[in-house]
Amino acid sequence: MQTATRPPVRVGRANRMGRAIRSPRARRLRLGLLFISPWIVGYCVFYLYPFLASLYYSFTRFTGIGNPVFTGLANYSGLLHDSMFHTAVFNTFYYTIIEVPFSTATALGLALLLNMKVRGQAVYRTLFYIPSIVPVVASSLIFVWIFQPSFGIVNALLSDVHITGPAWFFSITWSKPTFILLGLWGLGQPMVIYLAALQGVPKEMYEVAALEGASAWSRLRRITIPMISPVILFNVILSLVLSIQYFTQAQVIENPPGSPGTSTMFYVTYYYQQAFQDLHLGYASAMAFLMFVGVLIVTVVLLRTSSRWVYYENENR
Amino acid sequence: MQTVPTQAPAAQAPPSPPPRPKKRRTPRAIGASASKHTVLLALSVMFALPLVWMVGTSFKTAQQALQLPVVWWPQPLEWRNYPDLFAALPYFRFFLNTFLYAGITIVGVCVSSSLVAYGFSRLRWPGRDAVFYVMLMTLILPFVCTLIPLFVMYKRFGWIGSYLPLEVPTFFGSSVFSTFLLRQFFMTIPHSYSEAARIDGANEFYIYSRIILPLAKPAMAAVILFQFVYCWNDYLGPLVYISNQNSYPLSLGLALILGDYTTNWAWVMAGATAATAPIVILFFLTQRTFIQGITLTGTKG
Repeated sequence: MQTATRPPVRVGRANRMGRAIRSPRARRLRLGLLFISPWIVGYCVFYLYPFLASLYYSFTRFTGIGNPVFTGLANYSGLLHDSMFHTAVFNTFYYTIIEVPFSTATALGLALLLNMKVRGQAVYRTLFYIPSIVPVVASSLIFVWIFQPSFGIVNALLSDVHITGPAWFFSITWSKPTFILLGLWGLGQPMVIYLAALQGVPKEMYEVAALEGASAWSRLRRITIPMISPVILFNVILSLVLSIQYFTQAQVIENPPGSPGTSTMFYVTYYYQQAFQDLHLGYASAMAFLMFVGVLIVTVVLLRTSSRWVYYENENR
Repeated sequence: MQTVPTQAPAAQAPPSPPPRPKKRRTPRAIGASASKHTVLLALSVMFALPLVWMVGTSFKTAQQALQLPVVWWPQPLEWRNYPDLFAALPYFRFFLNTFLYAGITIVGVCVSSSLVAYGFSRLRWPGRDAVFYVMLMTLILPFVCTLIPLFVMYKRFGWIGSYLPLEVPTFFGSSVFSTFLLRQFFMTIPHSYSEAARIDGANEFYIYSRIILPLAKPAMAAVILFQFVYCWNDYLGPLVYISNQNSYPLSLGLALILGDYTTNWAWVMAGATAATAPIVILFFLTQRTFIQGITLTGTKG
């Protein structure tokens, strides 16, 4: 700060150059590291160390008290034979495989609809966005009430047309689809992102395409989707990673967690039970590491195959 | 972006050149516009209904809430649910806890994320982009992969039961999202500003605090908002670390009502409304900042 008021810059710089003999390069590196140093500390303490420690715990039996006891691959082979673990993997897979494509398509569809120069675009956008800022616990409560089996509005309306609605969150068959509906309600974030991306597509491209007589469908396929494909990729990866970690809504709504039956026993639900109720910290850590491997594989596969469908206008992003 | 198109919903339909009389709208264009609005309106209803239903139920008596056929909007409004609920559960306490949690982490995020973002955008140093990717990678690291060792560590520190495990990391750049948002914004500021200041002999911290930060007010506002919303929503963090009911944030407190949900749905919805209304009002007041913030992080991934 004082340097600003000190006119002869030369002196200061000459001094520093004298100490660090190696050019401005080393100085720039030092300065950069200095600015990001809070993150470096945070990364080591809150990410790197716990990640490695968790990996180590996964090879041990550990209850949180005393020292972890090394047991080799016992936890992993235990998971292999644990039918509840298989259920948790299946439920999470079920949720993810439906939720991600549906929410992506819906968010994109809404954005496309809003991008068609409709009057009152901002109003619609706000309406579609608001559910996504409703606190998770609140939206869970709202949906429990809406889908309440005997007095909920959905089943009341269904019975008006002489359909006996299912028990939704409390039905083994319907619980997961109901959670997917809850997820679809809150897709405002990706929608706004897609809309912004759509608005960034140069208008001239459409004009040229229109002159060439391209149909609306081929404009969508050949211009719109390619132009915003990097944004789609980014959002698909994020929503995949999030839905693999699906937990909060199920934890709030289902009592006991995982019910009815084991139909909402998601991966993290089971992890949480193992870690914080049964204190099988080593076992839970093995689950965590497997999840990491899973997320990594999914991400790498998506990024690798993305060169086929993602188009980068200028390669330096 | 905020500008609502004033005219010509039919712009895309005819392939013919520009000199097009504005008033003349073909029946086909009107039809297209009408069907667009029909679809949008139907969707709006679907998105808005749960909230309307929530507010409506919160003004019913316990009996009215269960009444069939459905009553959308009770006559007269039953206001008592709110004071009753606030008396039954320490709601003000929950609000206060949430505000404290949000306030402290906002300070942490603003200070650390802006510094880190500056280092990742306004400075050129060898290895910068590689390190930046390492930081982005932590976005896809599932939280369960670090949770247990962190819990053990915080237990050793004696932090369990307090908000420290949720607050301290934010002072060390744990909010990658905020850092990313600020970096994206910092990159849009012309480098000539910094160059000019450097020629005048300003050091880097001076440029950061006196030139870049003041220019980045809109981005900082977005970061503050997002952090606030994040804390307001956060259920998982407090669930793991907070056990004493007096320290509960709103999210955990709200989940408590579901425990006796069979007794009174109007109460449950009053609780949900009380937790939702502030954040929705906040959104309406700051919509612009919100949308710009999302756009900044989302489209340049």
